[in-house]
Amino acid sequence: MTWWHALIDAGAVPGSYVPPPSPAALARDEAEGTAPPDLVEDAELQAHAVPSRPGVIPPAVSFLNGMARWSVVAYDGVAQIVNAYVAAAVCRRDERGVLHATHERSRAFAIAPMERVSPALRPLLEHAAPDIEPVDSELVGEPARYLEQVESTVRRARAHLERELAEACIDRLGADEWLVLDGLLSRSPAVARHPRALGVIKSHGAQFLEGRGLERALTLPAGYRTSVFAVRGGHTRTEVYSWYLRLWPWEGNDLLYGLLRVEARADRETVTRASALSGWLWAERAPLATPATRWDRLLYPLHHVEEYLKARAPRSPAVRSRLPVA
Amino acid sequence: MIDTAIPIAIGRVVATELKPATPHQFHFWTPTDTTIGIGAIVKVGAGSQEPGDERVVYGVVTEGFAYSDLATPLHDVVGAEGDPARADEAPTARQQIRYWTAAVLRQTPEEPLQPVPLGQVYVADDADVAQALRMDAFLYSATPTAIPVGLYTSAGRDAPVYLDADFLLGPEAAHLNISGVSGLATKTSAVEFLLASIFAHFPAHKGRVAAVCFNVKGPDLCFLDQPGDLSEEDRHRYDRLGVPSTPFQRVRLYAPLKADGVNLNTLRTHPDLVGDVEPLTWGLQEVVDYAEVLLNRDDIDAKADAFIDFLRDRVLGRTFDDGFGTTHRVQTFADLGRLFRSIFDGLEITAGGRSDTWRTHHIATMRKVRNRLLNISTRCKGLVTDDGPSSDLPWNAFEDRTVYVIDIANVDPLGQDLVFARVVSKLREQLERRELGVDAVVVFVDELNKYAPGDGPETYVKKMLLDISERGRYLGLVLFGAEQFRSQVHRRVVGNAGTQLFGRMDMDELATPGYQVLTPATKSKLATLPIGELMVRHPHFTQPIFVRFPKPPVLRGRDGVERFPPAADVPFEDAVVRHLVRLDRRVRPNQVKDLIADREPEDVRRALAAARRTRPDDVLAYFRKVLGARVDSEAGVPREHHAVPPLNPISDEPY
Repeated sequence: MTWWHALIDAGAVPGSYVPPPSPAALARDEAEGTAPPDLVEDAELQAHAVPSRPGVIPPAVSFLNGMARWSVVAYDGVAQIVNAYVAAAVCRRDERGVLHATHERSRAFAIAPMERVSPALRPLLEHAAPDIEPVDSELVGEPARYLEQVESTVRRARAHLERELAEACIDRLGADEWLVLDGLLSRSPAVARHPRALGVIKSHGAQFLEGRGLERALTLPAGYRTSVFAVRGGHTRTEVYSWYLRLWPWEGNDLLYGLLRVEARADRETVTRASALSGWLWAERAPLATPATRWDRLLYPLHHVEEYLKARAPRSPAVRSRLPVA
Repeated sequence: MIDTAIPIAIGRVVATELKPATPHQFHFWTPTDTTIGIGAIVKVGAGSQEPGDERVVYGVVTEGFAYSDLATPLHDVVGAEGDPARADEAPTARQQIRYWTAAVLRQTPEEPLQPVPLGQVYVADDADVAQALRMDAFLYSATPTAIPVGLYTSAGRDAPVYLDADFLLGPEAAHLNISGVSGLATKTSAVEFLLASIFAHFPAHKGRVAAVCFNVKGPDLCFLDQPGDLSEEDRHRYDRLGVPSTPFQRVRLYAPLKADGVNLNTLRTHPDLVGDVEPLTWGLQEVVDYAEVLLNRDDIDAKADAFIDFLRDRVLGRTFDDGFGTTHRVQTFADLGRLFRSIFDGLEITAGGRSDTWRTHHIATMRKVRNRLLNISTRCKGLVTDDGPSSDLPWNAFEDRTVYVIDIANVDPLGQDLVFARVVSKLREQLERRELGVDAVVVFVDELNKYAPGDGPETYVKKMLLDISERGRYLGLVLFGAEQFRSQVHRRVVGNAGTQLFGRMDMDELATPGYQVLTPATKSKLATLPIGELMVRHPHFTQPIFVRFPKPPVLRGRDGVERFPPAADVPFEDAVVRHLVRLDRRVRPNQVKDLIADREPEDVRRALAAARRTRPDDVLAYFRKVLGARVDSEAGVPREHHAVPPLNPISDEPY
């Protein structure tokens, strides 16, 4: 019996609601409160062609990605009690190109406004749920905003897990091995300073450029990258170097189609290697990460890690409902 | 050898709403580099630690699928930018699956019959194979009846597969049918191996067993007593199956003579081997009982039957007055020819041509029967003798675990039919009387497409094959039949075969309705089956099983002809010498040649046949004695003339 079944047996109303992802969730990787960037390559942001044939793809690469899944599973009055699951994994690519999971962490927890949970259910919740993430009770009366708060809590939990895993991974990274993360490199200072770690960001909620530079970045042709610029972002405010890379032609689609932002260590060597690294990532376009909706920006190995995590995640409580989903 | 190593799971059963596990079928996945394939036997369960969860399911892989997470082929094109060469440059391999469908062979416990549990999948070891194929009942019983048919091989393992003698040789079921394309299906080799296996493993409590093989193609079965070349792998397989890798210890070869009456009509005429070949010659007495074989569909009528019965009951072997003043004693074709001539002359001369019946039989009927009977002595000269005694199989003294090969490859088709009909009929008669000398006889007949076609006329041979198929198992008369196209053999012949083997098959044949129960993958495997591998269906096996069998331990026909090239026909005198020396080593060639120098060949042949039949202590003396006077088969009736030529041996005359 799950902890929420215990609640339901004790009088809570069963729930089965997974809100659609909010724009904030999609832009989860964007640094909050970023500072204006400084160009570290070229005097003005330029478009550079990446090598169409990559020189060297690192023989050993590990890819890190995470996932989050949550749903409202019970109601105590209007207080929504949420079951959440976050997980992250690292898959290492072998010499045959096959990915094997090497690191994995997960966390299943309850999210509840503990102060608004009825006295009858609260002890039960505290006893039955092994891991509770309390949230502010003020928004309980506003269900939509409350769920945004829940979503943010889950996102933070996922980011925390990914950061922990990334740090654990780079500690054991081989001499020539690279780590590619889905998202910000700058979440962890240790990772952000590692010479063989790359962050691949596919959401562009925040813009780092403006004016002519922004225009050049958003209209990059496929197979081009921008000049490297310095970004100081994330909670840690660790500086990293970054550049945009277009994997697929945007013409006929939208400005962000096939557009990646890459983060790497803030070091001159990064500037030197930006084209070579871009050529490597360009080669990672195939195989396509379909059927993911954002396959144009999602590298297949990162997609694979996500699918791996989904396959291993506990079954979503929502799918237990046999009623059609509205 | 039972493998007691701790099993390692090689897959896991999966079931979805669209593809659920059922009591008779399940699906599982394996790593992409798995060693299993179509035909592999797997085991589900037995690894569970849950108390009470002891269900074990055995299955055979019948279908395999591989696919990746590619949503549409177009995405691969896009990813490679339309250049197939670039598709290989992708640094990451797509996630792939090897997904297999297996048909359930057995569940333990058998009841309650439930869907296959979603458990781990293991490769079957020896003990599992025995369980899966329900061989434990006849392999480990107090009176085992297991006959090795080959090795099941998969995932680097091999396990013997056994047939149940009670279902292969009777009485529960019987008969074996083997199909496959010519040259690649190794049908003859499979039967040779299986006969060796039967001889090695036929249980003592079931009695004695022998085999009769009709050699209808070249030298196929002419060297069963000679060792062939075996590889180390073959020898290992023999060891594994517990079958000696030696040629048949007891082989008796029979071949008719050529038209000259002294040289053998076989490809085993090399001087080193020809001495082991017994002549097969029949006279009128042996042929007339199977006169129906000689009649085609148009001939078969009540009048002809009645006249043949009359000859058989009233004339043959008896002193008989033809009504025109001549007394006959018909023992040979020559005697029969004289009888007919006497009757026709009598009707023409005595009756003045006004009567066309004799003893209620119309002259046309008599002419027809005469033509058919006397034609055989010309068409099958050497097998059927005009005049003289027969040399036949030892009908009362068949020996245990002996192969009797009858080489009729070079005999006229009509003669082949006659040999087949008579041999099988005699086997049946002797088995019914329990006088054959053995309790069971395997009759191997190749080319069932020719002898028992699904369509075409109802020939005597086809009726005989049907009779064996349907009733032989009660007598111990077992048919091992082979053909290229199973779909074109009479349904009751193949349908009554309890055990069926399939070598490499033709795709057109596999498209016929008889193979609808096989999955496309199984059909594909059958169409590409390597030499030495067979698919087996047996009453104990709920699904077809693929096995490998070793090369037979005997010299193949083609190799035999190369190693022992057939000798050219020897001159008449030398052939006579050879026959007599074979009967008695003391015989000196010059003595024989002097003896027959001024003799009529027919007289010499008769004397030789008499010596062969009598086998006296002093062969030369006996031969001299018989040659000195008229050699009479039984009664010593004076011989008036030589062989009776047919009226028109190859005409289309309706008689």
